[in-house]
Amino acid sequence: MLDKDKFRQAFLEEAREILLELESSLLALNDNRGDNELVGRAFRALHTIKGSGAMFGFDELAAFSHNLENAFDEVRNGRLQVTSELINLSLAALDQIKAMLDEAAGGVGASVAASAEILAKLRQLTGKPGTHAAAAAPSPPSAPLAAASGATRDWQIRFCPGADLMRTGTNPLLLLRELRQLGSLRIKASMAAIPPLGELDPERCYISWEMVLSTSAPREAISDVFIFVADCCELTIEPATAPAIELTAKRTAEATTAPTTAPTTEITTQPAAGPALSPAAAESKTPNPKSPPWGRRASDTPDNASSIRVPAAKLDQFVNLVGELVTVQARLVEIAARREDPDVVAVSEEIERLTSALRENSISIRMLPIRATFERFRRLVHDLARDLHKEVELTIEGADTELDKSVIDQLNDPLMHLIRNSMDHGIEPPETRLAASKRRSATIHLSARHSGDSVLISVADDGGGIDAEAVRNRAIEKGLVATDAVLTEAQIFAFILAPGFSTARQVTDVSGRGVGMDVVRRSVEALRGTIDIASKSGNGTSVTLRLPLTLAIIDGLLVRVGHAYFVLPLAATLECIELTRQDIERANGKHVANVRGEIIPYIRLREYFNIQVERPEREQIMVAETEDGRYGFVVDQVLGDHQTVIKNLGRFYRHVHLVSGATILGNGTVALILDPHRLVRDAIRTMALARGPLGARANVRAAAPRPRAPDVAAQGMPAPSVAAEIRACS
Amino acid sequence: MPVTLAQGEAQCVIRLDGEINIGSAAELKKLLLQALASGRELRVDLEHATELDVTALQLLWAVEREARASSRGFTLAGRVPAEISIAVVVAGFETFPVGMDQK
Repeated sequence: MLDKDKFRQAFLEEAREILLELESSLLALNDNRGDNELVGRAFRALHTIKGSGAMFGFDELAAFSHNLENAFDEVRNGRLQVTSELINLSLAALDQIKAMLDEAAGGVGASVAASAEILAKLRQLTGKPGTHAAAAAPSPPSAPLAAASGATRDWQIRFCPGADLMRTGTNPLLLLRELRQLGSLRIKASMAAIPPLGELDPERCYISWEMVLSTSAPREAISDVFIFVADCCELTIEPATAPAIELTAKRTAEATTAPTTAPTTEITTQPAAGPALSPAAAESKTPNPKSPPWGRRASDTPDNASSIRVPAAKLDQFVNLVGELVTVQARLVEIAARREDPDVVAVSEEIERLTSALRENSISIRMLPIRATFERFRRLVHDLARDLHKEVELTIEGADTELDKSVIDQLNDPLMHLIRNSMDHGIEPPETRLAASKRRSATIHLSARHSGDSVLISVADDGGGIDAEAVRNRAIEKGLVATDAVLTEAQIFAFILAPGFSTARQVTDVSGRGVGMDVVRRSVEALRGTIDIASKSGNGTSVTLRLPLTLAIIDGLLVRVGHAYFVLPLAATLECIELTRQDIERANGKHVANVRGEIIPYIRLREYFNIQVERPEREQIMVAETEDGRYGFVVDQVLGDHQTVIKNLGRFYRHVHLVSGATILGNGTVALILDPHRLVRDAIRTMALARGPLGARANVRAAAPRPRAPDVAAQGMPAPSVAAEIRACS
Repeated sequence: MPVTLAQGEAQCVIRLDGEINIGSAAELKKLLLQALASGRELRVDLEHATELDVTALQLLWAVEREARASSRGFTLAGRVPAEISIAVVVAGFETFPVGMDQK
């Protein structure tokens, strides 16, 4: 059954998507003003919004879109030029439509005054009277359209709704009414396909129409009326010839009068009621539901559902359930191993294989290309460039890179702040750029690419770069660092991320309050990502966000140190080598191992987390690739790979960065998930604090690190106690 | 319900109220079949209807055809609202339903 509210909701969702497409068309059109394809796209988008809007009772929205649609019709017919003014006005109108949609969804109301203002400007631009937004006229008034076009001519139109036309919520009578607005319409309904009452599907339209429309509107205007039912109907529009009209009128007249004059013969002769109608008639008589539905769609595409729309919450629930399944499966593996029953082991292995496939599948369902997020910024760049009087071009690379939906959802804000920052602080006004012998128009490059288990998203501009000295001075001023501290560029740039930090002398509308970069830092940290800032004075700045592919489940390597279990992300680990007492003695107490000639520094998790258990004879080093090069992590035993369902540690432990979460093992024990990048960073920092001026890897090599258990221990919660507490809670 | 059936001694009256669209099509079909099966004269009351969509129109058309085929009476009861008459013309139904002037 039809549920009006459900359809309205679907319309609101769909309209938002169409608006996004419209926005990208408009912006592309701005760069490429002669492109008729883009004009057509914009026109169709507006037409769809108008038509569906009217159909679901959003009359004001329909009337408003109609005016804009008319303007684009003018452009399409070559009577109006694409100008910056038109684009900007269209974008403003688009925002207004968005506001109307929000209002319909229960948000803040759209301003009527704004609508009127936009329409007034539009009228000025097109030099035509438009329908006022308040006038609830969902259909186009015939006068301006008809008057705009050439001579009046007759069109012969045949419209046969397909089997599923009604189920899409379309009301054919509204279409006919809209058609009537284009000119004078002679219409005949053909009832020949209506089956006997008993066999009639009450939710299907069996009636077809033959019409002759006298109009001065172009053919497109006629086909546009049927634009959103084109997939589920048979439609022919032909220039009418006089005899054809005669013939049609006669034939349809016969068809319609047939039942009253000779009802019995009509029923029996039904299949012969005209060649085009016979398939429908035949179908209606065949009870077989598999018989192909009527209409173009049936013949063109095998199925109309190549993709389906699912609420995000359902997907989240699905992934959660798969996560639970993975946890239970781990328990099964544990039990199977203990029982040593080959049957149980076989089943357990089979389930492990299936769970793993299910897990990958569930994650891939949540993966979305980042395109929509990226494309959204074209508008921001366009508007900001206009407001700041700068010339900026946005280039996008790797828009097809896929990321977990939940990650994408949280990326919008940080990216927006980065772009605003670039536009306001990074990019110079055109005159300054020319003086520095740079191109007048600046570029912001937005890119995404995969790197192991992470995605790198970067915002790079070719602006003035960050003034490291100014940042340093400001940091000293704010007491963030000692006046005589020796800092690397990377360390200086890191201050930009501090809350309330801004070198801007002037707070503008766009940025300068020192809030933006703090938001970036918080959002990225919440996603367990990292930020890397690189900048060259005079050449621009690039900010790269490294984000995990997913937040839900990872492939991990389970290791043990004493009684504590840890998980290292599998994607980061390279190999596992043995560490004997002899090796340790040979290294003269330094924490380095010789792996086939390469010196690999290592961190002893036992010491790092202060785990006081007897050291075994042979230990193992897990070699991992981190942002600072290869490092080893010394553990007692490597237990094997582990599908790790990431559980949050909760608010209480949110400052513990070395641990990216916890997971529950098959036997109910909690294992902490380590973040190798952060672990290594922290070890380097600890060592640097102990030894003065910081060096990177080279220093670590020269003097083997002897890191204390810093963050975790400093906060009075060594890892095992964290684990114990989580266990107590779960 | 927008569609109701009242059975009298010699006739069945199907009354349509308000908007009659795809949402009430299944119910309308059921009642029409019931009325046909009763063998009584069928009257359709459109006086309180505000809108008929194509699903309703084609059902009424089909029932008229069947009533006539079995020489059973089929008439409209009460006045037909102007909106309905207009909708019928817009839809290109020239001879339906049952001649608007027939009472």
